[in-house]
Amino acid sequence: MRQDVMFKGIGGNLQLLIPDQLQFTEALNQIQAKLAASATFFGKGSIIQIPMAEQRLNKEEQDQLTAVFSEYGLFWEAIEMTAKATDTEEGMAQPDDETSAAQTLIVEKTLRGGQKVVSDHSVLVIGDVNPGAEIIAGGDIVVLGTCRGIAHAGAYGNREATIKANRLLASQIRIAGVIARAPDQLNNPEYPEIARIIDGAVTIEPAE
Amino acid sequence: MGEVLVITSGKGGVGKTTTAANLGTGFALSGKRVALIDADIGLRNLDVVMGLENRIVYDLVDVVEGNCRLKQALIRDKRYETLYLLPAAQTRDKNAVNPEQMQQLCEELSREFDYVIIDCPAGIEQGFRNAIAGATAAIIVTTPEVSAVRDADRIIGLLESEGKSDPKLIVNRIRPQMVKKGDMMDIDDIIDILAIDLLGVIPEDEYIVISTNRGEPAVTQPGSLASTAYKNIVRRLSGETVPLMSLEVRDSFFSRVKKFLRL
Repeated sequence: MRQDVMFKGIGGNLQLLIPDQLQFTEALNQIQAKLAASATFFGKGSIIQIPMAEQRLNKEEQDQLTAVFSEYGLFWEAIEMTAKATDTEEGMAQPDDETSAAQTLIVEKTLRGGQKVVSDHSVLVIGDVNPGAEIIAGGDIVVLGTCRGIAHAGAYGNREATIKANRLLASQIRIAGVIARAPDQLNNPEYPEIARIIDGAVTIEPAE
Repeated sequence: MGEVLVITSGKGGVGKTTTAANLGTGFALSGKRVALIDADIGLRNLDVVMGLENRIVYDLVDVVEGNCRLKQALIRDKRYETLYLLPAAQTRDKNAVNPEQMQQLCEELSREFDYVIIDCPAGIEQGFRNAIAGATAAIIVTTPEVSAVRDADRIIGLLESEGKSDPKLIVNRIRPQMVKKGDMMDIDDIIDILAIDLLGVIPEDEYIVISTNRGEPAVTQPGSLASTAYKNIVRRLSGETVPLMSLEVRDSFFSRVKKFLRL
């Protein structure tokens, strides 16, 4: 999963980053696949910014992009420079918190059942994650609300990843390759909790 | 232009058709012009619940395919002057109609009627997409059960991505006794997950079975709790502020005696 296109939240806007070396046809296929997987997450009418689109894509490629986006009721617009769209950032698993903070995908709404968020880096949800919703993150997951769905942190193998929520009531917690199921008698926690792998098993402790 | 309300839920059997029939009749009783549309093509039920099944000549699919004019297919309910029903087809399926056709149909109807109420089928496929296409507002019906609430949540997500924001919630078939004992979800638990505005709460009421069999919506027979609840919802939708009915459970006489004697 090296040179891949990526949707990123930057400054409240959703951006699509296409690595320089990636062939356009391959990029288009990846974009199709990601839109198909998260169709209901991107609300109809959303405008996604594509840095340097005018400079990097010819007219035909831009038209193809428009066609793919409009299939899902989405629009794109070209913007000038973006923060750090270089090779070293794309495609590399980012295990530690400091650098992935800049590439955190921010979701400013409640995730409803059937909606799925996928990110190569960390994900921050400002809202709830309802049962039936899924978050798959290469980095950490933070939910500023109640997490009742499935949260998978460190999805590309990072066992240091953590999952934190104001109320952690997830049906399943997955970190890297370890899956943990909620206990049958879920005691309602009144404080934020954080899940991490300790000694090979998923452990939940109160978060400060 | 009238309001086009879609009554949807995701889960089947929670009371969409009953709600559509009662809200439609309720509005008609207060003098509004109402068109009910049964969007459940292939499994039509709204006509039976309204007691109009013997009067169906043309249906929704006939209108969309141009076999008849809209006016010919609309059945006027002789009991309530301003209430009309556009029935679904029974011998076709949900692929017989597409969302654009539904949208046009709803637009045409909303020019003639104060309220167009669409009874949405269960599920999230073509039938659902058809039913919501022309709607200006959505009402989600759920029962106080985990499975129904899950499905309602999915539906809210789908409505949001179709641009139908701010749906309202009706919680149907609630049993206050069971809620008090902790055996049934209470309203707060449901709102905690669904996080949308509550429009009304309808208690479990045996009378609904009778009214369905008779083809006379419960709102027309005052006295039952469900009837009052539906009437209150009609009033709220018309802009009145109506407090939620008290569903406080009074202990039975014997249990109060037992408590008194500390048995």
